[in-house]
Amino acid sequence: MRAYHATDEESLLTRSLLKDWAGEGFLSESQQQQMQQECVCELRRTNIFLRLVIFFFALIIVGAAVGLFFLVFLERLSQQTIGIFLLAFAAISYVAAELATSRARLYRYGIEEALVVCSVGFVCVGMYFTLSSGSVLFSSGRNVAEFLAAVAGSILSVWIWHRFGLPYFFLGAMIFAVWLPPYWTSSAAARHVAVAALYAAGLLTVMTVRPRHRFTFLNQQYSIAEALLWFGIYLAINLQLSDSKVSGQGWFAAPATSEFSRPIYWTTWALIWCLPPVVLARGLRLKDRFVIAAGSIVAILTLITNKPYLGGERHTWDPMLLGAFLIFFALVIRRWLASGPNEIRHGFTARRLSGKDKVWINTTTTVIGLAAPNAIAPSPQATSPDVQFGGGDSGGGGASSDW
Amino acid sequence: MLRCVYHGYSMTILTRLEQWIEREIISPEQHALLAGLSRGEPFSVFLELNILLYAGILLFVGGLGWTVSTWSQQLGDVLVLSLLTLILAACFWYSFCRVPDWSPKEVASPSLVFDYVLYLGCLIWTVELAYIENRFQILSGQADLYLLATAGLYFFLAYRFDNRFVLSLALTSLAGYFGLAISHWRSNQNAEYRQYAILYSLMVGGAGAFLERQGLKPHFFGTYLNIAANVLFWALLSGIFERLNHVVWFLFLLAACGASLAWGLKRRQFSFVAYAAFYGYVGVSSMLLRGLRDFAVVTYFLVSGVAMLVMLVWIARRFGREQ
Repeated sequence: MRAYHATDEESLLTRSLLKDWAGEGFLSESQQQQMQQECVCELRRTNIFLRLVIFFFALIIVGAAVGLFFLVFLERLSQQTIGIFLLAFAAISYVAAELATSRARLYRYGIEEALVVCSVGFVCVGMYFTLSSGSVLFSSGRNVAEFLAAVAGSILSVWIWHRFGLPYFFLGAMIFAVWLPPYWTSSAAARHVAVAALYAAGLLTVMTVRPRHRFTFLNQQYSIAEALLWFGIYLAINLQLSDSKVSGQGWFAAPATSEFSRPIYWTTWALIWCLPPVVLARGLRLKDRFVIAAGSIVAILTLITNKPYLGGERHTWDPMLLGAFLIFFALVIRRWLASGPNEIRHGFTARRLSGKDKVWINTTTTVIGLAAPNAIAPSPQATSPDVQFGGGDSGGGGASSDW
Repeated sequence: MLRCVYHGYSMTILTRLEQWIEREIISPEQHALLAGLSRGEPFSVFLELNILLYAGILLFVGGLGWTVSTWSQQLGDVLVLSLLTLILAACFWYSFCRVPDWSPKEVASPSLVFDYVLYLGCLIWTVELAYIENRFQILSGQADLYLLATAGLYFFLAYRFDNRFVLSLALTSLAGYFGLAISHWRSNQNAEYRQYAILYSLMVGGAGAFLERQGLKPHFFGTYLNIAANVLFWALLSGIFERLNHVVWFLFLLAACGASLAWGLKRRQFSFVAYAAFYGYVGVSSMLLRGLRDFAVVTYFLVSGVAMLVMLVWIARRFGREQ
């Protein structure tokens, strides 16, 4: 079912671990070389930056090729015919991706990724064009073609995630799934429940399959999928985040309770407090980095959205208090772990054990560090009579703006 | 060549470790350590704690800046400045008390929180300086001097404490001095900004190269060069998008792309190859597509896309195989 041989993918994982361990001094260079010779991998890979630009140009080529085909051969066609041709292009793109992996042995190379991305896009648009003219409407007045396009997109994305192991296709499938419930019901509450139920079904499936792959190369793939599903469930039940009327207004948005009955509203409030401990506990039990991250993010989101949920007055110092809490929490955890025997407690340590952590921190902080000064100096509230100084878009060190 | 297939299944890392210890490639101690790490025993939360600290500091300073800007009249200047000065002094006192001996090479942080305390202090300095200038206008009309002085202070701290967070702040402050705040990019791509941007990128790139050659924190060089390259490419592209003198800017862009490509291949830093490919393609396309119609445009994208892809795959196979 996988596009790649398990031996190759397992070898890639092993080589990555060996490189990391050698970098941390757990293995000597000669040991690493000797061990790597036994982890032969025939897949063709490339650097992440080259992968990104290759992906970009492969997308351009496919888009231009399809555009040229329509311009030269099929001008002034009916929507239905265009749809049929797009479905054919979807099939061609998918077959090309399969060939790129099976013949050319490309692995995370950009080309095969662009081809499968195009195949999903062509399937969705192609199905919509093919079925939209004169198609049946749902009782909600929505077009069946749109629904089927979303279903096809979701199914194909899950298949590609499973076959090629590309995690962002799982996210794509989840996004397609969000489009489905509006075709079944016009009730906002029912839509939220339906999305959460779809994600919960996916979560149960992943949780059932996952234990078989605990120490294999597939563990990370299922780990990311599970984290995304937990996060999706949380977004579906947190009405302060998932309600489109609110989400665009940020921290100081007013709660939109009118569309939801009081029992549903308060049930979701209770659930947003219940979910983070559950996710965090599972992540910590499995020692799963992605699930722990999902649990941490939903916990922070619960703290942020609690006030809007309760209709409480929000203050300018709320972010400050949250920041202080996060710092305090991190310091307490670090101190607690560091005071354990050999700096380990319950199998956890605050010490760095992988060079990848350092690379991630250095890269992220350099990138975010350039934008962070903008974020930390927000514009004063326009309605406040007490505004004393402007700014809000300063660069580092208050660079620019009007201070 | 050994293909590691075990009882019909691919071998997991644990199985491989078993084999390696049996063949005495690794010692029993190494086996115990590596098998434990493979199973997540111990599991390091180093990255998670760093992210929490970083996010916490950004939220804290963001909220603090927001609060003092909104409630300064009620709180009073004395209270605001006292509070900010107190936090600032505490941060710098902590940092200077625990600073390890200076070395021109990379120095490991003495603790997890050390880098973040200094970063917090620098951000508080930013808020306090902004407050003072807005309340008292001491250097009214010459705010760029604040930026230059702040950039100087941050550079000193970044090099003294070997702190990348503060180095990013220093480079952003310097960009601010050159009239180059990121928030101004979209709306002000005029000739003046472009000249400042080019001057900034050349200065930053040159200074980074000089410091690397002198052996002063050579691991910072990547940060300098990436920022300089991106600012330079944006500035050159903005020149190409304008009607006037766009051919000159185009030639500069080609030269910059050539240099970036050569540097990336020579040093195996493929981000620079990516910059050359992406920015170069955007620049060349904007020149060649002027006045073209549908068919020619699509044909151009197809032909140029194939050419770029072939070149990049060749580079990837020749130079960039390893992750």
